[in-house]
Amino acid sequence: MKGSRLRRFGLIALVVAGLLLVAAIAFFAWPAKLEAVAPSPAQPTGRALVEKGRYLATAADCVACHSTPNGEPYAGGLAFKLPFGTIYSSNITPDRKNGIGAWSDAEFVRAVRHGVRSDGQQLYPAFPYTAYTHMSTDDVLAIRAYLNTLRPVNQAVAVNQLSFPFNQRYLMRAWKLLFMPRQPLQPDPNQSAEWNRGAYLVEGAGHCAECHTPRNLLFGLKSGQKFAGATTQGWKAYNLTSDPETGIGDWSVDEITRYLATGHTPGRGAAAGSMGEAVSLSLSRLTPQDLRAMAVYLKTIPPKPGTPGSKVNPNPPLMAASTPFAPARAEVGSDAVGLRIFEGACASCHGWDGSGTHSPYGELRGAQTVNDPEATNLVQVILHGSEIRTPQGGASMPSFGRAYNDAEIAAVANYVLRHFGGKAATVTPERVAKARREGE
Amino acid sequence: MTTILINGEAREVDVPPDMPLLWVLRDVVGLTGTKFGCGIAQCGACTVHVDGKPARSCVLPVSAVGNRAVTTVEAVGETEIGRRVQEAWLGVEVVQCGYCQSGQIMSAAALLGRNPAPDDAAIDAAMSGNICRCATYPRIRAAIKRAAGLPAETV
Repeated sequence: MKGSRLRRFGLIALVVAGLLLVAAIAFFAWPAKLEAVAPSPAQPTGRALVEKGRYLATAADCVACHSTPNGEPYAGGLAFKLPFGTIYSSNITPDRKNGIGAWSDAEFVRAVRHGVRSDGQQLYPAFPYTAYTHMSTDDVLAIRAYLNTLRPVNQAVAVNQLSFPFNQRYLMRAWKLLFMPRQPLQPDPNQSAEWNRGAYLVEGAGHCAECHTPRNLLFGLKSGQKFAGATTQGWKAYNLTSDPETGIGDWSVDEITRYLATGHTPGRGAAAGSMGEAVSLSLSRLTPQDLRAMAVYLKTIPPKPGTPGSKVNPNPPLMAASTPFAPARAEVGSDAVGLRIFEGACASCHGWDGSGTHSPYGELRGAQTVNDPEATNLVQVILHGSEIRTPQGGASMPSFGRAYNDAEIAAVANYVLRHFGGKAATVTPERVAKARREGE
Repeated sequence: MTTILINGEAREVDVPPDMPLLWVLRDVVGLTGTKFGCGIAQCGACTVHVDGKPARSCVLPVSAVGNRAVTTVEAVGETEIGRRVQEAWLGVEVVQCGYCQSGQIMSAAALLGRNPAPDDAAIDAAMSGNICRCATYPRIRAAIKRAAGLPAETV
């Protein structure tokens, strides 16, 4: 009796295990479905379609990731260094062999919105399809039409170097089950058309959350801290929520719009790093109406706390007691290394009062970067410099990483934090050494 | 066409808006007294005055000048302070190779324009962005004091 019951239990367990195995194989290996796509009657044609696509490709900032600094635009090859290996962006020119020239429109739409390659393999979410999934079929098809007009670049990109199990693309199906939005963004009838347009751009093409939201251990976005700010490859994307202390709660819609359009708002500082790039390549080239819509939407993001102690002090005492060309009386004659370096290398453009004597982009007063006690972006911008180029003008700052050692850069960063942000100094030479490696 | 006011004269120049002022001064207008040093606002050799304030012309796009008055080393001697600085420069024999000199004089004149009697610390704070490869710093300091009418220093 006992033996047959045990045998029956074993049989059931075997069947269940077998079913689970079949289900798992089916889940991971079932061919990805390819839905037919067609433009709506509202979709323009010819030049108007290409122009629409060019604008949307700019809004989605495709070129930023699908190009290398000195390479052919859209030919891919940019490295994404992750803790478990390196991923390279793909060539999205219409080259039939190395680009996406041989892809059908349906395959392109599936890739952008669902993260599946033309051969049915899964794409890694370094490609922000979790955001692009919110884009309409018409908009994605317009981008395709624009990409089709580019010069085909016959250039293969490097092969990804990922460790096991991250090199198993099919596992992305499980990742998507956890982190892919269930359905595209639905318009909110209780909000204005402007707000809805802003939501569509911020959540979809703009993919703002990809940098401004912290990630969990599985590299999914932490939905509970959406837009609360995060650090990627050594640079911090600041808190975009309406938190009045650490977010943009006290920014007006006009101030946000201006920042997106030019990378600078008086009394708020200038964009650098990846945000400088996003402004240069994408945001500064969008229409004022779209930028305003994004600002209107951003203003409604519920507050979440960001970096503690990073509330901007718009007029700390030492800065307030300085003029553009001379430091505060209390600082004159100091032998502190940080002040000495600032005097020789920084003061001529930024001014001792942080007013930016040469360019509005040099303004330091009111900037989040000189008020973040972790000094993440401050150290990066000193090490690597900054460049911003918009149709409305721009500026560049040289890099000082090779001019000064880690202790000197820590000293000048601490001086800047105290003088322009009224913040206690926290940067150590070890932190600078780490930042050098991360920002490379 | 862009119009800029250089040394009291309105000059029409046909240049891209992001061209640095230094390029316009040297290559377009032909005022070569202002020198190119580092090109990244770190050495001070290209210093000119924009509305009387020192500016590094190598990083200042011509479009950012607007209708403000640009003064270069060619014309700074026409102001009382500039004349005194240039006389003191000769009196102290500041120059060794001379490459940084026009930038030094422009920064010194701007300093005396806002602080007629600077002490050593004020001179250091104002002049630190002007580098001299020949290390004539003690003579630069002495010349600034002489121009300010302060007690002479031996160097």
